[in-house]
Amino acid sequence: MSKLSFRARALDASKPLPVFRCEDLPDLNEYASINRAVPQMPTGMEKEEESEHHLQRAISAQQVYGEKRDNMVIPVPEAESNISYYDSLYPGEFRMPKQLIHIQPFSLDTEQPDYDLDSDDEAFVNKLRKKMEITPLQFEEMIDRLEKGSGQQLVTLQEAKLLLKEDDDLIREVFDYWTRKRKACKSASLIPVVKQEKRDGSSTNDPYVAFRRRTEKMQTRKNRKNDEASYEKMLKLRRDLSRAVTILEMIKRREKSKRELLHLTLEIVEKRYSMADFGGEVMAEVLAQRALIKPTYTMPLIPLSSNQFRHQDHLELKDFKPKPEKTEVVRTKRKYEKKPKVLQPSSSVSQQSGHSSLPAFNAKDLNQYDFPSSDEEPFSQMLSGSSEAEEDSDPDGPFAFRRKAGCQYYAPGQGSNWPWCDPGDPRYRYSLTTLTVPHRCVGLARRRVGRGGRFLLDRAHSDLDNVFYGLDPEMHSLPAQSPNGKLASTSESNTSDRPAPPDLGHILLNIKSCRWRHFRPRTLPRDSDSSGLYRGLTRVSMANPRTQTGGSTSQSRTGPGPAPAAALTAEQYQQHQEQLALMQKQQLEQIQQQQAGNAPAALTTQGLVSKTLDSASAQFAASALVTTEELLAIKAKEEIVLGIGVNGVLPGSGKWSLHFATNSTTTANTATPSGHGAAAQVLMGNSVRLGMSSAGGTVNSITTLNARHIPRTLTAVPPSALKLAAAATANCQVPKVTAASSLDMVVRENHDQETTALNSIADSTVAMEVT
Amino acid sequence: PVTHNAPLPPCKRRGPGRVRSVGDGRLEVIEGCRLPVLRKNQENEDEWPLAEILSVKEVASRKLYYVHYIDFNKRLDEWVTPDRLDLKKLQLPKKEAKTPTKNGLPGSRPSSPERDVVRAGREGESQMSNGTSRRLIPSQPGRKRKANCVGTDEDSQDSSDGIPSAPRMTGSLVSDRSHDDIITRMKNIDCIELGRHRLKPWYFSPYPQELTALPILYLCEFCLKYLKSLKCLQRHLTKCNLRHPPGNEIYRKGTISFFEIDGRKNKTYSQNLCLLAKCFLDHKTLYYDTDPFLFYVMTEYDSKGFHIVGYFSKEKESTEDYNVACILTLPPYQRRGYGKLLIEFSYELSKVEGKTGTPEKPLSDLGLLSYRSYWSQTILEILMDLKSDNGERPQITINEISEITSVKKEDVISTLQYLNLINYYKGQYILTLSEDIVEGHERAMHKRHLRIDPKCLHFTPKDWSKRGKW
Repeated sequence: MSKLSFRARALDASKPLPVFRCEDLPDLNEYASINRAVPQMPTGMEKEEESEHHLQRAISAQQVYGEKRDNMVIPVPEAESNISYYDSLYPGEFRMPKQLIHIQPFSLDTEQPDYDLDSDDEAFVNKLRKKMEITPLQFEEMIDRLEKGSGQQLVTLQEAKLLLKEDDDLIREVFDYWTRKRKACKSASLIPVVKQEKRDGSSTNDPYVAFRRRTEKMQTRKNRKNDEASYEKMLKLRRDLSRAVTILEMIKRREKSKRELLHLTLEIVEKRYSMADFGGEVMAEVLAQRALIKPTYTMPLIPLSSNQFRHQDHLELKDFKPKPEKTEVVRTKRKYEKKPKVLQPSSSVSQQSGHSSLPAFNAKDLNQYDFPSSDEEPFSQMLSGSSEAEEDSDPDGPFAFRRKAGCQYYAPGQGSNWPWCDPGDPRYRYSLTTLTVPHRCVGLARRRVGRGGRFLLDRAHSDLDNVFYGLDPEMHSLPAQSPNGKLASTSESNTSDRPAPPDLGHILLNIKSCRWRHFRPRTLPRDSDSSGLYRGLTRVSMANPRTQTGGSTSQSRTGPGPAPAAALTAEQYQQHQEQLALMQKQQLEQIQQQQAGNAPAALTTQGLVSKTLDSASAQFAASALVTTEELLAIKAKEEIVLGIGVNGVLPGSGKWSLHFATNSTTTANTATPSGHGAAAQVLMGNSVRLGMSSAGGTVNSITTLNARHIPRTLTAVPPSALKLAAAATANCQVPKVTAASSLDMVVRENHDQETTALNSIADSTVAMEVT
Repeated sequence: PVTHNAPLPPCKRRGPGRVRSVGDGRLEVIEGCRLPVLRKNQENEDEWPLAEILSVKEVASRKLYYVHYIDFNKRLDEWVTPDRLDLKKLQLPKKEAKTPTKNGLPGSRPSSPERDVVRAGREGESQMSNGTSRRLIPSQPGRKRKANCVGTDEDSQDSSDGIPSAPRMTGSLVSDRSHDDIITRMKNIDCIELGRHRLKPWYFSPYPQELTALPILYLCEFCLKYLKSLKCLQRHLTKCNLRHPPGNEIYRKGTISFFEIDGRKNKTYSQNLCLLAKCFLDHKTLYYDTDPFLFYVMTEYDSKGFHIVGYFSKEKESTEDYNVACILTLPPYQRRGYGKLLIEFSYELSKVEGKTGTPEKPLSDLGLLSYRSYWSQTILEILMDLKSDNGERPQITINEISEITSVKKEDVISTLQYLNLINYYKGQYILTLSEDIVEGHERAMHKRHLRIDPKCLHFTPKDWSKRGKW
């Protein structure tokens, strides 16, 4: 058969080719001539290069020998690899990182000058060094700037002076040198660069022009090209700017602290002066005392339970918010800034009273704070609301709550059997809580120790919140309305509609039977003769002016309040600042009077202290104030303020003494015989607010009152001071009721505690059960 | 030593009277002449291959001639002293003025006009008569590279035929060299010092022109910045803290690492790398910026850092299945298996991408040999490992080979052909493995120590069509 007539099919890439060893096919050669049927593939080389001598030799050598022979390789120009000075040129060891190297986006832009010093420059710099300070790097930077500042035209000396930051002599020297060198140099720049294309297109054929931009064709997607680069640049810009902001903020903080320190020092001096502490004894004493004090933060009750439900977790976080900042804020604020605020609140109070019928919270109030998540329960927002919020846009800084991806955040569960849902549960850890600084009841909360001994309040929602909030310190205490029964039931079956105004009698009952607990921060006696005290007081009145039942203001607001006796205003305190010593005396007097007479007289000498209400007037006030309706109204007015954590007291150098800031006295008495459930009467008693301040820090301790408990803010108090306080409170007899005695108890208990734990309790609160 | 090796603009010597008789009746050797030139071959024996004079210069009142050996690669072009010229066999340029601008016929490069062998002593009037420049019609106007730019004063003359037009914007190589000018045909850098190596460049590279006059161009080993003196390099090294290519390391095994560098994000380094590479890649073009390329730099680690051994570039998006644009093993590392390692790595990347690929054309001689060798070994490895299942003859399709290896189908076929494996037997194509092939392959594989370990590759291909590749 003729091979020639046979036409091989084209090679089909998808057809299986059997693989044979040649030895298996002895007859292969007979078919060999057909091989040509497979078309030759191009080599991919240029024709004329393909024929080059050395290549052909190498190819044929390969085919002959199956591999390249050394003398058949394609010769290339030689290369040496024996640079003797290599090791000294490239210094140092470089250890191979364990991980694959990953370049950070910005790690490559170093700010190093592109210009490199050459030998001539070195000689020049060395010469120049004898006259003035200059380093090679500095020189390189200068030349670099001059070069980069010059286009077609060289930089002039004037421009150079603007461009360079060194002193004029140096600039002139370097400039002259540069000008000379530049003129001698034929190329366009002292920093060698690859020639760039000219705009006019005349450089199309210049072989030295390289890396032209690809413009023409890609015009349409021009934007895209820059997207990533500009994005990166913007990232970098943002990073740099935010650094600048951080720095500025830190400077601001530092300066504030410095101002603070100055003020404090001044205060100390003033106080020492007024105390005639010229020999420094008092100072020494205080310092010694202070040295003894270790910041022991005793944590009453309520350990953190590990399985709290999620929502709470971030509530806690939020509750951090005001704390760290607050002390500082308080300090920096001082009297100066406070004043204007006093006015504002009252107006808002009146405004808001109109909304009395609002339900649980005022949405407006809630919305004024920014929170990381918009879909949180309003209730949680309330918790973190702070009157100081606007003072620092990011108060909790690193502790700010941020949602984690993949986490689900549930609304407060309701109707479940969790221990925190049912107040009747023995493990139920929430109690009514009253704050000192926004002087009001914040509803159910529990406390625990947070980081650094801070006090955290975990707040819980209850359907009675609106009632709780309405429990204004003014009407304080033992109010009659304890939501108790209701609470239990509502939380259980919370499907129900909003609870009707609770039955005050019922609540009272519950209170009495100790079913409800109420926590208030212990109030500390204030340093009566320190301005710190005064600060504390004013702060109190300002901090929550709205809710503020604080002292006289609130009372006067409520109008019928019997003894709007002494209104404490900042101004007054200021006036009396110099008379601190005197005040102290008077205080003692007061106490004595009280002791002696058992009289609920409102004694305000000096405006410092205020009044104790006698029972009758208290009753009157209370009844006037508190009807359920009223409660709601007040509640509506309230601004949600978190005053927690504010009460840090810094044991300062001042002398401690006792001060009664008792205006806003709040011993709430339940006037009603326990039997009368229905007619809720709240007795406005006097609550004693013991504010303590040291020279070093203000305590804005505010007692919040709640229906049944007398909160006190406690701060570092020397025993003696406490005694005074105790004595004083003991004498405030609130007529009529059981609650009166509660006051005593509270104080005493505090006292006891204090004597052992020697002050230093920042804002610990003690739970009191009212009997 | 040569202080200046930039060619004198040859155009100045053009025109009538270019071939002048010297007083003693001998011809002056000018550009375009051909004559045998002495060179040592690899066995250090004297040879007299025919060479063309590309340029003449005078250093210290001594003439030097830049010669291109006909049928030898340009990389062997060099400056020679007159005593290496065999003037007796001098051929004058028959048609003149071709030197810088080749006659434009494809495949004829390096080309010279027809020549007459002139006997010594004979005047070349006849040649001179036709001394006007031959006008060139750009054969492929759109693909012109560096059209005839022959010295600045010649622009007017040459611009008429060289309508400035830019080359295509994809790819990194040019194949049509018809408009190469004398400048790019000559090496312009004498010596490059890179780390512990001194390299003799093979081809022109557009480093800043003022640096081409230097006896040695210094490069920073790690950032590849070019510096004019050792002093500058020392200063630079105090400021440069790179100890590896400025990219992400995507492969490491032993001391061998690969770094990926984006030509758009890291322009300076990419350009420096291209300038260096151009010294050794004839067909590489640096006409456009480096934006559409990725650069994969292979390094070898020692206590000083990650030293560049070689690299290949790759278009972010190739319309022609190119998986390599330029590929280079630096001369000190050549002939040690690194080239094959680079090639192997390029195909590993293609495997990850799930594509087949092929190197951009034209290949150089060394490129062709390396690729053929890689393809042969890769394909033979597969064929030898084929197991016959159920007793039948093992078989495989070309497409299968291509899929397994990521080698483009055409390259598989050409390799099979080159190895002479394809035979037509009894009505069908078969692959046959001869004993020679098998033995040769086994020997070669035995010597091939450097291999890419795919497990050490940490590479995620990006979809460049969705981002700005330019």
